[in-house]
Amino acid sequence: MTSIWLKFLGTSILLTLSACTNDSDESVHREPPPTVAEVPHETFVPAPEVVKPAPVSQKTRDTYQWYCSQCHGITGKGDGMNALQLAVPPRNHTKADYLETRTDQQLFEAIKLGGLAVGRAPCMPAWGNTLKDADITGLVNYIRELCHCEGA
Amino acid sequence: MTLYRLFICVLFFWATNAHADISLLKENHCDQCHRLSSGDKEQNLAPDLFYAGEKFQEPWLREFLRNPHIIRLNGYSGRMDFPKAITPQPHPSLPEKVADEVADVLLTLKLLEPETPINFGEPLSKGKKVRAKILFERNFSCSACHKGVNLAGKPHGGESGPSLFNAGARLQPQWIFNWLQSPEKYRSKGRMPRFDLDQETAIKLVQYIMTLKKENMK
Ligand code: HEC
Ligand code: HEC
Ligand code: HEC
Repeated sequence: MTSIWLKFLGTSILLTLSACTNDSDESVHREPPPTVAEVPHETFVPAPEVVKPAPVSQKTRDTYQWYCSQCHGITGKGDGMNALQLAVPPRNHTKADYLETRTDQQLFEAIKLGGLAVGRAPCMPAWGNTLKDADITGLVNYIRELCHCEGA
Repeated sequence: MTLYRLFICVLFFWATNAHADISLLKENHCDQCHRLSSGDKEQNLAPDLFYAGEKFQEPWLREFLRNPHIIRLNGYSGRMDFPKAITPQPHPSLPEKVADEVADVLLTLKLLEPETPINFGEPLSKGKKVRAKILFERNFSCSACHKGVNLAGKPHGGESGPSLFNAGARLQPQWIFNWLQSPEKYRSKGRMPRFDLDQETAIKLVQYIMTLKKENMK
């Protein structure tokens, strides 16, 4: 009986702490990205509409490589050098299915305020003290270019 | 009189300027990769050493120069090709005597002398440590980029930042504090996000990092 309780206590401590990185050697299973499940499952996926994203400057691309690629990867596929260590994988910025359910404003806020502040995983850091609002707007446009998708 | 003044000037220059000593580092080719003075042109191959006396704990530094180990698992973040992840090469090691002389020079290299050094107090109690761990792992995403320690006492966390697994034995608390509050004083542009931390939170994070010591781990 006590051992069950201890286990329960153990897991709950683990859960509160391991909000970002896996806090146990055994934990290989990773939480799925939270809201993908909300995306309606259609029997066939329609061909992506051709959308014309806002022009993206070289500075914005460099900013993405400099900071964001650490987790989201060089091509934005979510396979950066930290990806395997994180409990919640970095969002794949080339996939439309999730990103088209988010508004540009929501992406802006996630980047500026960080995952924790907008109900996303805390391993997405806040960039509001590092990047100017205009830089962040540029990054949102770049993500729209990567996913070939528009905001909801 | 003027001659006397000149003498004082020269003496002052000599005493505060480590250039004479830096030649020992150059003899050992440290400048091939590292910047040894803040005026050196950025080459971004290896972390800067011109504030080594402020950054590292002496015993760690002496040991590292003799028996180097890897700290940045994907190479140095200043390199342009860093996002591709660089397989780190083993660091050159020095014979004991040279290592100690080199360490003596490195320990004189300082950039900022804190106006009011902070008292980081006693090592954290267990309860405070758990709360500070939450700051490190959750509130500020530090562990997404840095190796810290998990509940089993093993290294865990991201790999783009230098490993902090043994930072409590490697780094000086005041330097960590300065880095968190004003990284631009040390490096014009890093890849770590800036945090707008109040002093109390910054101190808690420093205190937490200081608990990360290999010798404390299971
Ligand atoms: C330390 C790793 C890390 C870095 C660096 C990072 N991210 Fe993220 N990011 C994440 C993770 C993890 C998620 C997934 C969060 C979730 O699904 O709950 C994420 C999610 C996102 C999302 C989706 C937010 C949403 O609404 O679900 C956007 C947009 C994003 N990141 C943009 C960026 C940009 C732009 C940068 C660079 C300025 C960046 N990220 C840097 C880890 C990181
Ligand atoms: C071939 C290039 C190269 C040379 C030559 C070299 N270093 Fe390094 N050094 C590096 C790299 C790269 C790192 C980062 C290693 C890591 O993080 O794992 C490093 C790390 C260090 C560190 C730890 C710095 C930190 O911030 O963690 C010290 C101290 C150091 N070197 C001292 C020296 C000294 C003293 C010399 C000359 C005797 C020297 N190095 C020569 C490339 C070099
Ligand atoms: C997006 C990844 C990222 C996040 C999040 C992050 N860091 Fe860093 N950190 C880095 C990188 C990369 C460096 C190396 C210097 C640079 O490029 O800015 C670094 C450097 C450091 C250093 C100096 C280490 C050394 O040996 O030179 C310390 C200390 C540090 N970070 C602590 C923290 C703390 C505390 C937090 C949370 C408040 C944090 N970091 C969050 C990426 C990150």
